[in-house]
Amino acid sequence: MSVDERLVELGLDPEPTEAPDVRIGLSARARSWAWFHRRSIAIVTPLLVLAVVVQHSNLSRWPAPFDDEGTYVAQGWAVQVHHQLAHYTYWYDHPPLGWIQLALWNWPQAVLGRSTHAITDGRNAMVIASVVSAALVYVLARRLGLGRPAAAGALVIFTLCPLALAQHRMVLLDNIAVPWLLAALVLAASPRRSLWAAGAAGVCAGVAVLSKETFLLLTPVVAWQLWRHADRKTRSFCLTAFGVALGMLVLAYPLYALLKGELIPGADHVSLVDAIRFQLFDRNSSGSVLDHASGSRATVETWLALDPWLLFGGLVVGGCAFFSKSMRSMRPLALALVILVLAMLRGGYLPGPFVIGALPFAALLVAGLGDAMARTFSSRSASPQLRFGAGLTTVALLLSLVVVGPNWLHHDRQLLGTNDAQPTWDAEGWVAQNVPRTERIIVDDTMWLDLVRQGFDEHTGVVWFFKLDSTNNLDPSVAQQLPNGWREFNFIVSTPYLRRSLVEMPGGLQPVRDALKSSRVVATFGAGDNTVEVRAIDPQGPQP
Amino acid sequence: MTPIAVIGLLLLSVALFAIAAATLWWMLHAWRTPAVLRTTGFEVRRDEPRCSFSLLVPARHEEAVLGHTLDQLADLDHPSFEVLAIVGHDDDGTRSVAEASAARHPDRVRVVVDQNWPKNKPKALNTALPECRGDVVGVFDAEDEVDRRLLRQVDTCFTTTDAHVVQGGVQLVNFQSSWYSLRNCLEYFFWFRSRLHLHAEHRFIPLGGNTVFVRRDVLQAVGGWDPECLAEDCELGVRLSALGARVEVAYDPTLVTREETPPTLVALFKQRTRWNQGFLQVLRKGEWRRLPTSRQRMLARYTLAMPFLQAITGIAIPISLLAMMRFHAPVPIAMLSFLPAVPTLATLAFEAAGLREFGRLYYVRPRAWDYVRLVAGTFVYQVILAAAAIRAVARELRGARGWEKTAHVGAHRAPSVATIDLRDGVGASVEQANL
Repeated sequence: MSVDERLVELGLDPEPTEAPDVRIGLSARARSWAWFHRRSIAIVTPLLVLAVVVQHSNLSRWPAPFDDEGTYVAQGWAVQVHHQLAHYTYWYDHPPLGWIQLALWNWPQAVLGRSTHAITDGRNAMVIASVVSAALVYVLARRLGLGRPAAAGALVIFTLCPLALAQHRMVLLDNIAVPWLLAALVLAASPRRSLWAAGAAGVCAGVAVLSKETFLLLTPVVAWQLWRHADRKTRSFCLTAFGVALGMLVLAYPLYALLKGELIPGADHVSLVDAIRFQLFDRNSSGSVLDHASGSRATVETWLALDPWLLFGGLVVGGCAFFSKSMRSMRPLALALVILVLAMLRGGYLPGPFVIGALPFAALLVAGLGDAMARTFSSRSASPQLRFGAGLTTVALLLSLVVVGPNWLHHDRQLLGTNDAQPTWDAEGWVAQNVPRTERIIVDDTMWLDLVRQGFDEHTGVVWFFKLDSTNNLDPSVAQQLPNGWREFNFIVSTPYLRRSLVEMPGGLQPVRDALKSSRVVATFGAGDNTVEVRAIDPQGPQP
Repeated sequence: MTPIAVIGLLLLSVALFAIAAATLWWMLHAWRTPAVLRTTGFEVRRDEPRCSFSLLVPARHEEAVLGHTLDQLADLDHPSFEVLAIVGHDDDGTRSVAEASAARHPDRVRVVVDQNWPKNKPKALNTALPECRGDVVGVFDAEDEVDRRLLRQVDTCFTTTDAHVVQGGVQLVNFQSSWYSLRNCLEYFFWFRSRLHLHAEHRFIPLGGNTVFVRRDVLQAVGGWDPECLAEDCELGVRLSALGARVEVAYDPTLVTREETPPTLVALFKQRTRWNQGFLQVLRKGEWRRLPTSRQRMLARYTLAMPFLQAITGIAIPISLLAMMRFHAPVPIAMLSFLPAVPTLATLAFEAAGLREFGRLYYVRPRAWDYVRLVAGTFVYQVILAAAAIRAVARELRGARGWEKTAHVGAHRAPSVATIDLRDGVGASVEQANL
């Protein structure tokens, strides 16, 4: 008997054939996935279509274009066109990944056709971001154990709350970071609890932080979710995967600064350390939320004017989640709200978009309360008192739905019929038609890119008003190029944002104040607070 | 910097990243999901024993530890097994220790004298193979601490699966002896707890040198061990894999065979040189080319070349980073050159997590100092591994295939045992004699 024959007899095959390929094709997998999730798909698809329609309507007319929107749109353009992080010196005001993503959107947008205003194009990207966020809110709700109706409820709240409606359509870094943060949480609640998912959660959280640095505050929420959800035996590896992925991505930012020689402050360059110091300590504080006259209070009041229900509701439910056993799975979300409130109370500068990070958590918590109460009420094992309480809460929730729902719908319809942007667009059109391309104009960021596209010089033809001094930025490049400051300019466009900045930064922005004083109105658009004026500057004007 | 230099460094970075990332992913195989962790665990069952075992213990200049090991093996909880101590004809010290043990356990322990010259482990094993009477042949090293319950579990493993080979777990446990023993212990931990399962799953497995059990008929049919290979264990595993053998990996922290790290850095260096050279020999021998699927062959090529890839990455990553900094590459390119540092640092973080897990499984509490040593020792350890890999290549090219044996002092044993060995002065003298 040969060795080979002997081996066959022993169950060993000396000449094995290729193993049969039993891998399942992609389309088959997609089909089985779709079949498995058919109920959720049936619920979510129409809701997402609704979200697209609502988010997209009246996009270019409301709300009025906001200065930051112009900043990010312009920097996204600089990435795409100049392959630089900003068209002025990049001074580490924010990590750049947010507008790099915005720049990526410019290609499909160019194919679909650009609109007249760059900000409107940017807002299209925000529609995508908010619809993705809405879908992720549903998935996260399901993974946290909510039933389909409650998960759908969270999605609807997230889409239709007037405050969310107003914030989600603006071109803001927070809106770009939110879907990444939600994706991180969804991955941290992965049913398979895999190491891959934990690492991917770290990557998503890292992208969120590099899109908007304030989201660093919320990374403990993802870590906690992961810790709660992970298996005891693989937990330390999952947390390591998360921490490593997040840490490495975030460290890429200081590494970039280091390699550029801009990490540590120096005499002739901007630096990351300076920028962090500025954002955390030196920037003009907007005062305490508790102080009636402060800027922070005004910001919070604009949020509450749009919708007080969701924010307060979310906070109350978040507080309950820490004590209620049936809402245990929602505790990381409640932690997110706690962190955001503490950050708000810290004082310092409170930016308007700060609330964006809270919206998905508030929506999920409110929906989670409904889900928990419905479950307790229908549970046979709960005590009668508990069931009574749950029933009462459910009734209260349904009643508030009856009050809040129509209120929201009414408010939404009103907002979607408003045209706040017209004065800005009209002023822009007037400048494009009447001002020679050789003149210099001080503008706010909203119309900068549109005017550059109209043929004005991007370096010294149109200039952001706060580049004239260092009240609100650390980049001296413009001041160096134009030594005579505001006297080098022929026009200044006075927008609501510009005037508000002057109010909020008393003593700062002196060149802008001087330019306004030495100028006369040549064209006015809109009325009241929304007025936009084009003013001609007299360089020989009286020394203010 | 010239464009060609930039492109070259970029390609190097990407390659280094890929190698380090793949190694990391395979190192973490067992922890991919809780489900995988469960399946890679060893199902502890107590079936009626069905197999008989022949346990081979090759020993050379091991009088310090052999007696204890043989007594312990003779005392294993199983109705049907024999222990064959294999000693050299020129090694009277070890032989007398083995014969003393045989006299204490006449129905369990036998002594086989190996007449081959020059001597090595595969020749010793082949000498004993015809003497084996058990259905299954197991191999242990002279310094192994074997758990008393092991044989019954392995028996169950053979009878409940259709395995041809069962690889048991081996663990170095004296992680607090020195800075490198810590790293050495973790290497074993990740290899036996995790990586070997990946190999068993893909049916390509470089077997370990001990606590390995092979059906005797299979072993005889393939002609035993390769007498000229420095990594006879790996070679046998590759040869059996190519023939389609089914291997079960049985790792349970309570049942692992405990070993000690080499007593000195030089000993570790020599041991690693021998393994690397052995892997190189297996790679050159090319049995792995007969593996049925291309995926298996890729895994084989990669695994056998691993010591060399590891050596290259360990050295090349710092060098490429320095080059980038030194020559002021453009910022995006310099950023990309940091890519390989990502899996490298991640590996370090996972090693820390592994140390914690190791401590949990073996009821020891790593101190903060151990984590510091783990991190601080990384680079030097890499350099030693790289040097061993280079030395292995040099020796193989020169044709120097002598067996550089690792000495054992019993640092992994319960303190009383190790002290007795050392008090006799034997352990210390063996250490001297072998280095």
